Amino acid sequence: MRFTTIFLLTVLLSFSVNSQSDSTHYKVSLSGYLTSVIDGEALIGAKAYIPSMGIGALTNNYGFYSLNVPKGKYLIEFRATGLDKTVMEVELFENRQLDVEIGDKTLNIEEVIVNAKKGENIESTKMGQIQLEVEKIKTLPAFFGEVDVIKTIQLLPGVNSATEGGQGFYVRGGGPDQNLVLLDEAVVYNAAHLFGFFSVFNVDAIKSVNLTKGGMPANFGGRMSSVLEVTMNEGNNKRFGVKGGLGLISSRITVEGPIKKGKGSFIASARRTYIDVIMKAAIPDDSPFAGSSYFFYDFNFKANYRLSPKDKLFVAGYYGKDKFIFGNKEDDFTVRMPWGNGIGSIRWNRIISSKLFMNVTGTFTDYLFAFGSDQDEFSFELKSGIRDYSGKVDFSYFPNTLHKIKWGAEYINHTFVPSSVTAQQNDVVFDTGLAQKLRSHESAVYVLDEFDLNEKIKLNVGLRYSMYQFTGPFTRYIKTDLSNPDSTIVYKKGDIIQSYDGFEPRIGGRLMLNKTSSIKAAYTYHYQYVHLTSLSAVSLPTDIWFPTTDIAKPQQGYQATLGYFKNFKNDKWETSVEAYYKGLKNLIEYKDGAQPSDNVSDNTDNLLTFGTGRSYGIEFFIKRNIGKLTGWIGYTLAKTERKFAEINDGNYFPSKYDRRHDVSVVGSYKLNDRWTFGAAFIYATGSTLTLPESYYIQNQDLLFKYGDRNSTRMAPYHRLDLSATLFDKPMKTITNENGDEVEVKKRFRSNWSFSIYNVYNRANPFFLYVDNDGSVFEGDFQVKVKQVTLFPIIPSVTWNFEF
Amino acid sequence: MKKTLFLIVLLTLGLNSCTKEVIIDIPGYEEQLVIDGRIEQNSPPFVLLSKSQDIYAPTDLQAYLATFVKGAKVTVSNGIKTVVLDEICSDNLPPGSEVLLENLFGIPASELANVNFCAYTTFDMDIWGEIDKTYTLKVEVGGQTYNAVTEIVPKVDLNTLFWKTDSGLSQYGFGWANLTDPPNQFNGYFMEVKRINMVNGEEKDNLYEPIFNPANNDEFFDGTTFDFGYTNPQSYSDATVPDNVKGYYKLGDTVAVRFSSLDRDAHRFLYDKYIQLTNGGNPFAVPTNVKSNIKGGALGAWLGYSVNWDTLVCAP
Repeated sequence: MRFTTIFLLTVLLSFSVNSQSDSTHYKVSLSGYLTSVIDGEALIGAKAYIPSMGIGALTNNYGFYSLNVPKGKYLIEFRATGLDKTVMEVELFENRQLDVEIGDKTLNIEEVIVNAKKGENIESTKMGQIQLEVEKIKTLPAFFGEVDVIKTIQLLPGVNSATEGGQGFYVRGGGPDQNLVLLDEAVVYNAAHLFGFFSVFNVDAIKSVNLTKGGMPANFGGRMSSVLEVTMNEGNNKRFGVKGGLGLISSRITVEGPIKKGKGSFIASARRTYIDVIMKAAIPDDSPFAGSSYFFYDFNFKANYRLSPKDKLFVAGYYGKDKFIFGNKEDDFTVRMPWGNGIGSIRWNRIISSKLFMNVTGTFTDYLFAFGSDQDEFSFELKSGIRDYSGKVDFSYFPNTLHKIKWGAEYINHTFVPSSVTAQQNDVVFDTGLAQKLRSHESAVYVLDEFDLNEKIKLNVGLRYSMYQFTGPFTRYIKTDLSNPDSTIVYKKGDIIQSYDGFEPRIGGRLMLNKTSSIKAAYTYHYQYVHLTSLSAVSLPTDIWFPTTDIAKPQQGYQATLGYFKNFKNDKWETSVEAYYKGLKNLIEYKDGAQPSDNVSDNTDNLLTFGTGRSYGIEFFIKRNIGKLTGWIGYTLAKTERKFAEINDGNYFPSKYDRRHDVSVVGSYKLNDRWTFGAAFIYATGSTLTLPESYYIQNQDLLFKYGDRNSTRMAPYHRLDLSATLFDKPMKTITNENGDEVEVKKRFRSNWSFSIYNVYNRANPFFLYVDNDGSVFEGDFQVKVKQVTLFPIIPSVTWNFEF
Repeated sequence: MKKTLFLIVLLTLGLNSCTKEVIIDIPGYEEQLVIDGRIEQNSPPFVLLSKSQDIYAPTDLQAYLATFVKGAKVTVSNGIKTVVLDEICSDNLPPGSEVLLENLFGIPASELANVNFCAYTTFDMDIWGEIDKTYTLKVEVGGQTYNAVTEIVPKVDLNTLFWKTDSGLSQYGFGWANLTDPPNQFNGYFMEVKRINMVNGEEKDNLYEPIFNPANNDEFFDGTTFDFGYTNPQSYSDATVPDNVKGYYKLGDTVAVRFSSLDRDAHRFLYDKYIQLTNGGNPFAVPTNVKSNIKGGALGAWLGYSVNWDTLVCAP
């Protein structure tokens, strides 16, 4: 199999590189892991910096850094955000591994932040990339008492909200399926619980969140618009700790601690909402809706163990379940919507040499959504699910200070059940056809090099090659003309029905104009082999994921970006202007008039139609990093359109995700040790939908004629959220052995977090519909456009604790 | 199903969601002709012409009446004979035709004289509906021509009708029917009901109404014999019926059933129509335009019904 050959080549390449001696024998490497002295967590994006040489290296997702310098003695600074820097004098006469713990939190936040990230946004080639600090996210306003990663992402320029309560997020005009969401390197298909109000990410379990919206490097692929990397905490490897929060709607708890102190650790988090309890109390027993409820719970678990100074093993998992039951006892009618998401990963890091780092990962994803209803003796169930197994290997090679090379390979085994319908009445089972399972294999290899061409120019050049095979067993229904029954083609297990492959070049560069400003540009090409199709104007869990087949080709497209970055006042202020243009093809929509019940005795992709799209825009961003008041303002001016031969007579029409203007203003103000305030304001042009442009009467019934796809625009969306957090006193007074009264740090910490969502109670449109009422002959006939708003002003209170 | 889902989600968000009327720009309105035509066995062809309205158009009675179109030339042919239909206006009806036209217009006979609009039909029985014949419609108005074709397919009869009380209730239950579907061919069905037991000197229901989910085809039950139940659509708007027994037929009701067979295009129109009516514009569905079988750019349909009439007496 092609894949095996490529994998072997990759491994061989890495070994040959390893055994090669240094080209310049007077240079040596210093590498190792940087961790926090407080809890032993590996630090991502921390820096090992040699002031005398002006060179440094950042740690990767596992906290690993590598520096290559001439032999000698050096003063090296190890810095990370929120921690005091550690300075060490190091003698380097041979390749050496040095793991460093970086110091205590100081009270002088200003100095610390400058040290860690100084100039990173100017220097790196990474454009369209934003890293969010979880501690900062926690001070922002919460929704229903839960601070949320995805909601915070939506406050960044270039990222639109998927309408209130919807799942997913839109990046630069792309759909929710175009974002690669990774939880510890495992793919998350649906990052939101049912109805999209809460994401699957529990902030107490998360270490960092990194969003790449442009210039995606070659080690990522399979999605067109962005990569959201969410890395879980590893757990305090020095002592046990518990933290959590109790809120009105939901509560969470996290337990972490060492496995053999200093060698390993674990972290486990659980969360549950109790909307069902509230509903049970609020809905009277004699109401027809008694018995309705909704709740969800989820678990996050991660453990790691240092097998040797060079080997580290990680195991991580997520499991979430939603249960929604709607009951109407009188009509003997119930609806169930179970939703489940299970994700697991196992990883092995190995430091092969001081210059070569390897990571091997195996992951598993199981996503299921079902909708079932029972009425009397009639029951009906619709299921949609995905099961993925994948493995990948990644190498990072640091031959010298000028180059950082990465290469690797990835393989995913997909099984999709886009929709399976069963219906039964008493003993009569209706023939809805067998559930169709779609099986496929997706794989890729990549290589990239990030290097300094000269003092001013740094380039990141990469190439990714991806492959995809759609395989049997599978039955293809061929729809002929209406008078003949459908014919079918039956494929057996292992038959390759269709294969695709392609090269994905990824090029980015940075030109330093001076110490505080730079210009960056990138061009990337992408293939995407899994798709999400939505039947409606709102993103719903009923949207169906399905793979590329012989009819549904891979989505493909390119993105070109150009940006200017400038920092002011010693990095106190970061500013940027980025412009992008994306050309996309083989985009997918349902044909006009498609219904999910059409899936029976048919293939889902027979209901689809394909077309192209383009998105372009310009994003302005100002961020203040230091001081009592921090935050950012982002403004995006953008347009995204689609062109489908079978929709709108082949004319361009606005995409569902088209928002002309998008403004976010986010701020966090630390008044003193006790009080921190947060605020977020959003304004966006209303999203598009298709409303009837006229109505007519046929046989005394009023029917609608719908206008061009997405030709109507809802009213603009804007909202202000506020939050206030009251921290307890960090110190307490005790009497020590000498009888003196001293202040020590408290072990048990807590805070109260107050939030108000939608402070001025704006009725933002969730969706619109046209309603008709009354009778002409009775003189009360009316046709009205109605707007449904989801959330009015919502206050919430959560008590958080930690010990 | 989808409307229920829509209501469920709104309920879950419970007290928090709210609805209000808004006025926003909906571009693209173009006035179109609407052809509402039907023919069934032993009945005359009947065509109503009107115009489609902008969403924000006035909705009083006069405005409604002004939407109807007069002065058209409407022709029907069954392959052997071609007849131009007569224009008959409601304030000038041929005597004796009020009851027949009441059902077709959907307006009680007593009201018909007060309004003024016109329809197209004929008393030439040569062109009245016959089973197994295909009927072509041609409408010429405003300088445009529109064409449509429909077939009155062979009749399929329900085997039996019966009534069963529902759990725990001794006086109420759904109506049931047993059907044998002809195998290996397309069959499209449409079912309407009306209670004809006398109440206060009048039939209980004025007009036939379609049952819930009235348009079905035999994709899932081709060639099988099975029972299906149906609700009482008229009871939902009847204020005298208690909530817990809405949808049922009561012991003693006599229900007249119109079980019609349709050709593919006619079935498709009714199927799409009732999906649109049930969805009511909720966001969980692709906005569906009802597929018309009329060529030339008109809305509406030309429908041929092959009707099986039957009666259900609600008794154990």
